[in-house]
Amino acid sequence: MLSRSIRRFLPLLFCFLALPLRAEMTIEIVGGAANRIPLAILPFSLTVAPGMPAGLANPAEVVAGDLGRSGYFRLLDTGDVMVPPADPQALQLSSWKARGADAVVIGQVRPLPGERVEVRFWLYDAVRQAQLTALSYTTTRDGLRAVAHRIADAVHQALLGEPGAYGGRIAYILKRDGRYELQVADADSQNAVTVTTSPEPLISPAWSPDGRRLAYVSFEDKKPVVYVQNLADGSRRAVAKFRGSNSAPAWSPDGRRLAVTLSKDDTSQIYLLDLLTGEARRFTRGGALDTEPVFSPDGQWLYFTSDRGGSPQIYRAALATGAASRVTFEGSYNVSPTLSPDGRTLAFVHRRDSRFHIAVMDLNSRQTQVLTDTNHDESPSFAANGRLLLYATLVNNRGVLATVSVDGKVKQRLSQSGDLREPAWGP
Amino acid sequence: MKQLAYPVLLAALLAGCAGTPSQEAAIEDRGIRAAEAIPTEGVRIVEAGRAETRAMVGAAPVSEATSKTAAGVQTSTSGTRPITEKPVDSVATRGLAASTSVGKPLSDGKAQTAAAGSSAGAGVGAGVGAAGGAVDGTAAADGKGALAQDGSLLPKPDAAPSWGDLTNPESPLSKRRLLFDYDSSAIRDEYRQVLEAHARFIKGNKDARSILQGHADERGSREYNLALGQRRAESVLKALNLLGVPEDQMEAVSFGEEKPVVEGHDESAWQQNRRTEVLYQGE
Repeated sequence: MLSRSIRRFLPLLFCFLALPLRAEMTIEIVGGAANRIPLAILPFSLTVAPGMPAGLANPAEVVAGDLGRSGYFRLLDTGDVMVPPADPQALQLSSWKARGADAVVIGQVRPLPGERVEVRFWLYDAVRQAQLTALSYTTTRDGLRAVAHRIADAVHQALLGEPGAYGGRIAYILKRDGRYELQVADADSQNAVTVTTSPEPLISPAWSPDGRRLAYVSFEDKKPVVYVQNLADGSRRAVAKFRGSNSAPAWSPDGRRLAVTLSKDDTSQIYLLDLLTGEARRFTRGGALDTEPVFSPDGQWLYFTSDRGGSPQIYRAALATGAASRVTFEGSYNVSPTLSPDGRTLAFVHRRDSRFHIAVMDLNSRQTQVLTDTNHDESPSFAANGRLLLYATLVNNRGVLATVSVDGKVKQRLSQSGDLREPAWGP
Repeated sequence: MKQLAYPVLLAALLAGCAGTPSQEAAIEDRGIRAAEAIPTEGVRIVEAGRAETRAMVGAAPVSEATSKTAAGVQTSTSGTRPITEKPVDSVATRGLAASTSVGKPLSDGKAQTAAAGSSAGAGVGAGVGAAGGAVDGTAAADGKGALAQDGSLLPKPDAAPSWGDLTNPESPLSKRRLLFDYDSSAIRDEYRQVLEAHARFIKGNKDARSILQGHADERGSREYNLALGQRRAESVLKALNLLGVPEDQMEAVSFGEEKPVVEGHDESAWQQNRRTEVLYQGE
């Protein structure tokens, strides 16, 4: 175990010799579904071609990591499998059923001409002795992790009947050694890359709908300014740098506009910023604070936080008319709205007894449910499958990231040396 | 084990790191209908982000902004580059290959951008630490102005405070930090003389430009706290404006909860952090 983690760590250490030490993020499950599906994920059969580097990561490990941490599965020990079955003929399904497996995953990796590899996997229902799914992927060595996440998605979908969220990316801010880093990582927190660093705070990263750009707020100009950065080439520009403060960027579903909070004309008010023309059109009016805008996925509504009623609450306004109505009523502090991809569920930060929790509201029934029992929860965002929420919280006064399923049953925690905050789940 | 493995792995990594740069990472995804037969038709999905990201990690020896340009962003592209130290106060951005287009080769995310810390106002915030503490009697003794009917302060000719007074602990101008009650942006009476002194100073120095920097305590949403800090800064701006300071000599900005003066998690820390700082450009 130790040597494995060293082996995974060393490449990063070497390549970033002159940079601060990169610590790996660890994920810990802090709660799970009541009935987990017993699942056996057998090591994939690896055929190594001449000239192919040894030490190819076994995709089964990544698949098992994803599904094991999800809280929906109980993984059976497969450590005694000496010769991984390369195909269904070699699989003794009945023996895995006898060991308690409801489902079994097997797979193989074999080289193709050029630098490509093929990955196949099969998912079997051990109880009914039936094949549920079988898929083939061709990729390069560098694509193996991505393939493994997609296999995890496919297994999740086949066994639970809903999409998994193993293949997305997350952005977040890491504060360490007095610096702020905007990082982008795989949803399993691997492959973290710092895309911006600054000695001044960075907050509020927001993914463009196509996943190619990040908007965020940087204080490098000694005041909050909204930047949009292209992830492919690292280029960026200040899109809102008006007099006063500029913050809280949120993308329109078509990626052409940002809703932002500006104080250039009045106290913090929401504006719609056309990214092509740079024109900022004022959207809210009045002496109250309006901030934290977010578009509904259908582009019809803007949800936002306002203290116009005396305490911070979530409102929504029709983009066409600007007419606003209040959405949250329970308690005296409801902020940071975010919407599920289907637009049916609102997640937000709810204060109860001086503690800040993540809550969700079904927008049809207006039923509210508090999902977390930690006390300093912030910045919720939905996974693409709409089933998981990513948020930031404090554990022993240190910032960590956490996920919770929308039913509140499954929880994970992601931590790293340094403070993690402001997560955003991206496409 | 650890010591033994290290040189061996390091050698392997030399090869590994040299080999990883930016390989295309397309994934093709086909269904297998029978256990063995792989159909030749099927959807071809080319996916990009993650694998490229990984290539980045291997391929990106970062050499960021060694030359500081005060003006802003510097972009450069290159392949493998030597690793150099980063200047501590620079803002550095870095490419991350990402593409969602189907069937296209990816651009390598190697371009790197770096911006030096801000130009204007870079010094703002320095010297703030010297301020603070309770209001002392010097403000009252320095009351060299009088309120006119319209509320503006009429300075006496001999009363023009100098830039040096901003750091002179004997002067009310060295008082830079105004504290606020919870969820409030109302200015406490105790700060009247401090504000009058700053108003006199700004009006007497047409080149003075004040940055009113609002702050909030750590509780709750960062963005909402940014708006709360903004309101505290605006509250001070309005008070100075009522004392006759032209708006174009002031800017209200907010750092929200991002720059606490006290790193604590109780009311005594929170009280110190709910504040507006009166800063001057070029200090």
